[in-house]
Amino acid sequence: MMFDIVGKRFRFFLISGVVILISIISLVTAGLKSGIEFSPGSMMTASFEQEVSQSELARELTSLGYTNAIVQRILTEEGSFLIRTRELIGEEKVDLKEALAAKFGEFEEEGFRRVDAMVAGETRDIAAIAVVAAAVGVLLYITWAFRRMPKPLRYGTCAVVALGHDMLVVLGIFSIFGGMLGWEVNLMFITGILAVIGYSVNNTVVIFDRIRENLHKGVSSNFEVVINNSLVETLSRSLNTSLTTLFVVLALLFFVGASIQNFAVVLLIGIMAGTYSSLCIAPQLLIVWEKREWGRFIQWLPIVRPAEQRIPQARVKMPQYPIPCPNCGSHNVEPAYENRLRCRECGKIFT
Amino acid sequence: MIRRNTLVFIMVLIIFALASCVVFPIDEGVLGRKGIRLGLDLVGGIHLVYQAQFPEGTTAEEKPRAMDRAVDTIRTRIDKYGVLEPIIQKQEGERILVQLPAFTDIEEAKRLVEQTGYLELREVELDNDGKPVYLSHYLENPNPEFFDKGEEGTRIFVDENGSPVAFVSKEGNNLTYTDEAGNPIDVEELKQGSTQLLSWIPARGEDGTQLIGGFLEEATPIPDERGGAIRAMKISIVWDEEGGVIFDDIANRLYSRPYQSPQRAIGFFLDNVLISQPHIEEPVYRGSGEITSPAGFTIEEASRLANLFESGALPMPLKKPPIYEEVVSATRGALTVDMGIKAGVIGIILVMLFMIIYYRLPGILASLALIFYGVLVLAVFKLWPGGGVTLTLAGIGGFVLSIGMAVDANVLIFERVKEELRTGRTLGAAIEAGFNRAWTAIRDSNVTTFIVCGILYWVGGRIIAGAPVMGFALTLFIGVAVSMFTAIMVTRTLLRLFVGTRLARQTSLFSVYSGKK
Repeated sequence: MMFDIVGKRFRFFLISGVVILISIISLVTAGLKSGIEFSPGSMMTASFEQEVSQSELARELTSLGYTNAIVQRILTEEGSFLIRTRELIGEEKVDLKEALAAKFGEFEEEGFRRVDAMVAGETRDIAAIAVVAAAVGVLLYITWAFRRMPKPLRYGTCAVVALGHDMLVVLGIFSIFGGMLGWEVNLMFITGILAVIGYSVNNTVVIFDRIRENLHKGVSSNFEVVINNSLVETLSRSLNTSLTTLFVVLALLFFVGASIQNFAVVLLIGIMAGTYSSLCIAPQLLIVWEKREWGRFIQWLPIVRPAEQRIPQARVKMPQYPIPCPNCGSHNVEPAYENRLRCRECGKIFT
Repeated sequence: MIRRNTLVFIMVLIIFALASCVVFPIDEGVLGRKGIRLGLDLVGGIHLVYQAQFPEGTTAEEKPRAMDRAVDTIRTRIDKYGVLEPIIQKQEGERILVQLPAFTDIEEAKRLVEQTGYLELREVELDNDGKPVYLSHYLENPNPEFFDKGEEGTRIFVDENGSPVAFVSKEGNNLTYTDEAGNPIDVEELKQGSTQLLSWIPARGEDGTQLIGGFLEEATPIPDERGGAIRAMKISIVWDEEGGVIFDDIANRLYSRPYQSPQRAIGFFLDNVLISQPHIEEPVYRGSGEITSPAGFTIEEASRLANLFESGALPMPLKKPPIYEEVVSATRGALTVDMGIKAGVIGIILVMLFMIIYYRLPGILASLALIFYGVLVLAVFKLWPGGGVTLTLAGIGGFVLSIGMAVDANVLIFERVKEELRTGRTLGAAIEAGFNRAWTAIRDSNVTTFIVCGILYWVGGRIIAGAPVMGFALTLFIGVAVSMFTAIMVTRTLLRLFVGTRLARQTSLFSVYSGKK
């Protein structure tokens, strides 16, 4: 059984392109909402005894004069909300609590935070430095990790492009849902983003590491075959690691929620995007670069030409081997390791 | 080879036993005071950050010392409240951090910390004829001069509640009228009711020293029977030696003034607010006295004031409100701990189930390694330098995430072993080759996580609300580092132990089906 992952590369690019386009549109139009740590304000964790809907709560806050208030439901608990308002100073907090209690019945104030403008500004600056530092650190690391590659710059660039892809997807999806669900870019969001940066590069490095090994072994003279083999060989590792990480992230999202909700959501999207990009984008970009297929990709795009005039995408042609399988006699044979061959019919490995 | 492996296995068992002893002490809980330390978001509590406001002209040498004194003063005030393990620290940028675990009355906490607590004694200013001076006298006087020319200090005028209305001070050859914040006030606005506002001047001893709170030795709330009000309180005070002498100087002077006249009162001013103005009844007090209020203090008020007097004044005022405040209720904290544990346990179980279903025998071994991993990480949390890792919700997040990532090393190894088995190697050879080849991938792939952890740790340390970020970075780092150790030491050792057994000959236990695919 041999998956042809690289052959469908144009389709993968198209999917990513569409998602990224939607992300960019959403980022430009809706944007991201800045969380409590980055813009001055107050945030109250309120747990209501009676049933309260998010929209009612938001409406009430608006009518109380808190026009920019943001209400976020805590996914894991019924009746618990994070209520974000401008800075509540002195009596304002007591007044707001009384007004809400009068409207929605008693509630418990389980937490309260107030951040003033100076602190918010500092936090924003440091977070920005952190993201830049992480990007630089990862770039330096990639340069080092791929130093033994035949074309280190090329590998590094593809890994970075995949990383940018993941970031855009996470930010885009966050901005799409942010408006509806009150998701904000807070400190834990940034933490999640940095964790995703680490995670995404990590996956790509493992796959590139295998490509390097297979190129070194001379598995095939066809670059596409080498890459496809490397992908298939590392496929179960990539998927399994992502799955185990997804399991724990889902456990965090559904059982802890509350203040690390945004963090869990970022990781959830980031891990999925990161797995996709390291399997379907980064290695394929290497091929496109190697074969200079950009023009071909543009022509392949359905919007450019009607379907019947489209130039069919080049299929990966697995080389035919003159030696038949000693087990079943089939010529359907593919390269395995160290000058060994594997029969695609019965799985026998031979030399 | 086999013998060496047995030795390693015994070592692993010993480490596991030691780690278990650290994590699960016999007579104490796993979490909490003697177990793994919990952060404010898990036990509930208050987190305040104040900005110090030094008066202009404070030199750079004075500031650090003043900050230290302020920290000591706040600590003394808080200690009286019996808060367990409060954290009071000075921070960069002339800030003071106050963390009060398990204390959730934020208004009380703010009152306790932010009050400057400057206590001074004042007396009524007299004119040349020995009559008390009122604000109206100043307003009507064409000469910009004090009536009591011997006293150059600021005059304070207070309303009927004791709150300051105006301050009169001398600037060059002029008198200036300002409010509490130092902004000039229009003289016309002050005219109304100014005939009722007494002029309070600093009360000094014979040597010219003003009597202030710094001379206080003791302040104790005691019942105030006067007037028969139930549960009314007053504060009994004891001056130190020098303060006692100064007080008697003042008492002696005031005693000569007419009985029951306003000028016979001694005014206790706390942060410019007149809190008490008892009349001097005797010429000599010998260092002790009482601070009373007309209606008597409530118990809370009296103990708060006594605490404030005893701990002394902050060397500089703090900016109000604090630049950062956070409070988490104890119930929310307890709930978060429960949910965090639940998420961790469910995460581990899911990962184990997946590993066992997908990898069979190695999956079981990896699950055993995962249990070992969990205990070892918790032990490292507890033994981490500096009294252990303070676990926050984000820290739990980092730990749970590291569980998912910890398996990665095992997955990398098992996949390699499977590949080696498919090429027809024996199990023993496949395991050795698998581990050796997977090592570079494990090492390289974790480097990015370490880079990110380093950056996050740095960020968390520089941000006011950064404790969660630091906690996350630290737990993730420890988690991933320990996972590299367990994958190499524990999983490999367990696999090697199985190599010689009959079980190992069934490759289906490794989910490898030779020749049937």
